[in-house]
Amino acid sequence: MRKLSRWLVAFSTLALIAAGCGGDESGDGDGTAVPTDPDEPRVTEVGDGEGEVSIISWAGYIERGDTDPAYDWVTQFEEDTGCAVTNKTANTSDEMVALMQEGGGQYDLVTASGDASLRLVESGSVQPVNLDLIESYDTVDPNLADAPWHTVDTDGDGTAEHYGVPYQWGYNVLMYNDAVFKGEAPTSWDVVFEEMTLPDGKSNKGRIQAYDGAIYIADAAVYLRAHNPELGITDPYALNRDQFDAALNLLRQQRELVGRYWHDAFVQIDDFGNGEAVASSSWPFQRNVLAAENPDFKSSTPEEGVTGWADTTMMHTDAPHPNCAYMWMEWSLNEKLQGDLAAWFGTVPANLAACEGNELLTDEGCETNGLGDFDQIEFWRTPQADCFDDDEATECVPYLEWVTQYVAVIGGR
Amino acid sequence: MARRTGDRAGVGLRLAAFGVVAFLYVPLAIIILYAFNTQSALFTFPPPGLTTRWFEVALSDRTLWAALRLSVTVAAIATLIALVIGSLLAAAVYRTRFFGREAISFLVLLPIALPGIVTGIALRSSFAIAGVPFSTWTLAVAHATFCIVIVYNNVVARFRRMSPNLTEASADLGATGWQTFRHVVLPNLATALLAGGILAFALSFDEIVVTTFTAGNQRTLPIWIFERLFRPRQRPVTNVAAILVIVMTFVPVLIAQLLTREERQAGP
Amino acid sequence: MQVTARRRGPAARISAVFHQHPWSKLTLLLLPGLLWLGVIYLGSLVSMLVYGFWSLEEFTGLIARDFTLGTYGKLLEPAHRDIIIRTFVMAAAVSAACAVLAFPLAYYMARYATSRMKTVLYLVVIMPLWSSYLVRALAWRQILTNEGIMNWGLERLGLEGVVRAILQTPIIGGPSVIQSYLALFIAFVYLWLPFMILPVEAALERVPRSYLEASSDLGARPWLTFRRIVLPLAKPGLIAGSIFTFSLTLGDFILPSIFGQSQLFLGQEVFLQVGVIGNTPLAAAFTFVAMIIMVGYLLVSRRTGAFETL
Repeated sequence: MRKLSRWLVAFSTLALIAAGCGGDESGDGDGTAVPTDPDEPRVTEVGDGEGEVSIISWAGYIERGDTDPAYDWVTQFEEDTGCAVTNKTANTSDEMVALMQEGGGQYDLVTASGDASLRLVESGSVQPVNLDLIESYDTVDPNLADAPWHTVDTDGDGTAEHYGVPYQWGYNVLMYNDAVFKGEAPTSWDVVFEEMTLPDGKSNKGRIQAYDGAIYIADAAVYLRAHNPELGITDPYALNRDQFDAALNLLRQQRELVGRYWHDAFVQIDDFGNGEAVASSSWPFQRNVLAAENPDFKSSTPEEGVTGWADTTMMHTDAPHPNCAYMWMEWSLNEKLQGDLAAWFGTVPANLAACEGNELLTDEGCETNGLGDFDQIEFWRTPQADCFDDDEATECVPYLEWVTQYVAVIGGR
Repeated sequence: MARRTGDRAGVGLRLAAFGVVAFLYVPLAIIILYAFNTQSALFTFPPPGLTTRWFEVALSDRTLWAALRLSVTVAAIATLIALVIGSLLAAAVYRTRFFGREAISFLVLLPIALPGIVTGIALRSSFAIAGVPFSTWTLAVAHATFCIVIVYNNVVARFRRMSPNLTEASADLGATGWQTFRHVVLPNLATALLAGGILAFALSFDEIVVTTFTAGNQRTLPIWIFERLFRPRQRPVTNVAAILVIVMTFVPVLIAQLLTREERQAGP
Repeated sequence: MQVTARRRGPAARISAVFHQHPWSKLTLLLLPGLLWLGVIYLGSLVSMLVYGFWSLEEFTGLIARDFTLGTYGKLLEPAHRDIIIRTFVMAAAVSAACAVLAFPLAYYMARYATSRMKTVLYLVVIMPLWSSYLVRALAWRQILTNEGIMNWGLERLGLEGVVRAILQTPIIGGPSVIQSYLALFIAFVYLWLPFMILPVEAALERVPRSYLEASSDLGARPWLTFRRIVLPLAKPGLIAGSIFTFSLTLGDFILPSIFGQSQLFLGQEVFLQVGVIGNTPLAAAFTFVAMIIMVGYLLVSRRTGAFETL
């Protein structure tokens, strides 16, 4: 035993020394990079394809007909360019950021939502996109083309650099099982925030779900903005300490009602299909997949308002296949792809020309998916301590605290 | 505690024992059953119909074959490393007494006795600090680390059974150390090495925890299954993949068991 | 007797050196293994420890490599304490249940099975281990879901009331079977059972028949013999098995995400911190806790001779 304790002491001393010296190293394992120099666009021309391109994306964004043969926008690309597409699905923006920061040139592209995109730019994980090489860029919806979540003036010269190509946007709906609601569509988020008896006579306790990404705190803030105006919430992503605590309390109350926090779209589809869950905030994607099997699965847009996401395809600073990456970014704006994608996911395409003449989307699809509501949606963005304004007096809770507090809430504290 | 003829277990014990066996196998039966299910998403019992089309879907899936190839490659490399290092360590430990001998046995056991996340995170941290990008080799290194003990245990057990007189007799007859090794020791070890290697291979093949942390973009078979676990409309494909794994590991494991039968029967 | 002087080739000369200096042979045998386990494995454990002394920066989510104890300090927060305790309790419960379930089969194999039967039973016990862990976990989900085989069977037997009653109990119950600790517990026990059966069987094999006969000759009833003779002698096997069940439960992050009510377990927390938040330092701190628990357990069990049965 004495021998062993000597080993342990040696061990721990070594560790302490190493920790102290750690500051001198600069391994590339965890992305200790700085924003890339925007003056020199990395890629000046698109050469021959490297044969492969790897994309981190949300589930359902890169379809090759696996789930439904009618939805396939990858096979054509692979045939045309010879770039084989590998897709890694991530379930939260945090996961995407973590994957991109891993460094080492593992991935080429990522479909980043507004709450991830700026973090990626700040940490130098993504490179500016040379728009001259993306022919279709002028087809992008003007609402999105120069949006603040992917255009940043990193070199301070007055013009913002573009860091990605918009993909699509949509919002979080309230999905429910009509067999339980018996035709009385829920018009308020209170169905998932307050305990109540549902039209089928049973309590909602244990039968609802909530998203397990920390950005969901903003949904609580949206609810409080409508029901507790005395808190003075205006921007659900800029919350001061009091507003933040109130949101957390609401979420703690919700914790008692939640059966499971959903993390994976497909797991949620499973839970709803099995009857384990009957109402939850969700993406139109799950609603579409479930409704295709059983029309009882519907969704509504509650009156308090909704949060949403506008996704941009961004390119890694050390993308191993830059040519294929540019080819994909150009392809991603293709009209048919945009229409099929919007139909599949239940969203609005970045290329608005896709709203007409697409079989799967139909001409009403864009309207149904919220085309006219762009201005009312609270799009995901990463909360910052400066409340997004230049007013020194205002102080908001930054994102890392959102994450740690939300994990604690889920854990029951 | 070998059995004598005429010695029968009580009814209660037999029921309990075979009850446990049933407990172990009912879920496997369910897996196989649902691989033929016509339902593609939500599974009900009893399944409404049976079909073999999922086998076609699975076998024509390019990504499945890629994952399978990677799993086999990683397992093969890891097993080779484990065979070399495991037997060397076993040879060092089994007869000579030296300082730290017990510590070695302890050390060899650690990678498998500690939770997979410990090994996974530890290796991930050191790869990050050393600046090594994730690749097939990082995976193989990670797997080899916990496979060593399997080979080690098997070889030590075999060494214990081997009479020391054999090597002495060989030396008395004038053989050099190397000749003794090649003609006396190695043949005796052969089946133990084979058994250890097969078990190590199977262990690496199905490993998911350490793999998740040390694979970058690499997709081994377990990771492939993990990613598709809940996909609607493709659910039975994971069942088919599982059957594939069962079939692929059944024969090697059977062989390994037969080869090491004598060790287990040796007793105290 | 004729003694032939043979020519000594280089291989012979080298082996002669080893024979005369056994320590050099030993060193050569040990070196690769020590390098591998010492440098790669232990080195990794050290680097993990080191990560625990670093911390995560706010906005960018990058890791600040400056020494701090704050990350380890975070483990004491109530939410994190909960995670550790919850995982520990589940691991202990699973190990206990595995021990109970493993015994009948292990005893039967060791005491009553013929040589052929034993080999067959070995295979029977081991085969589930080599079929994908993930799919077996999913199989339990398919069994326990509202439309699965369990409910189907219970409805035929008219026992749904029992299930509902169980679901009402605090802690182990939940809104549905799948969303309860009970389902998680059952799945864990199922997956790790073979790891318990094998060492227990190995330990029971070493119990000499003569002990049992002597005990009954002295007038002890079977149950007493079991309690006083068999059980203590099986202890090393039980402990060896529990090393695996405990360790596997402690680190698992997949099952708690399939069953239960999103109550986080240690493995999930680590996975979350690494894969989602990118807070490798905190993940390392949690992992260190798991490591300490297991190393402590291993050291204690070494004394009981459990390692002989592994």
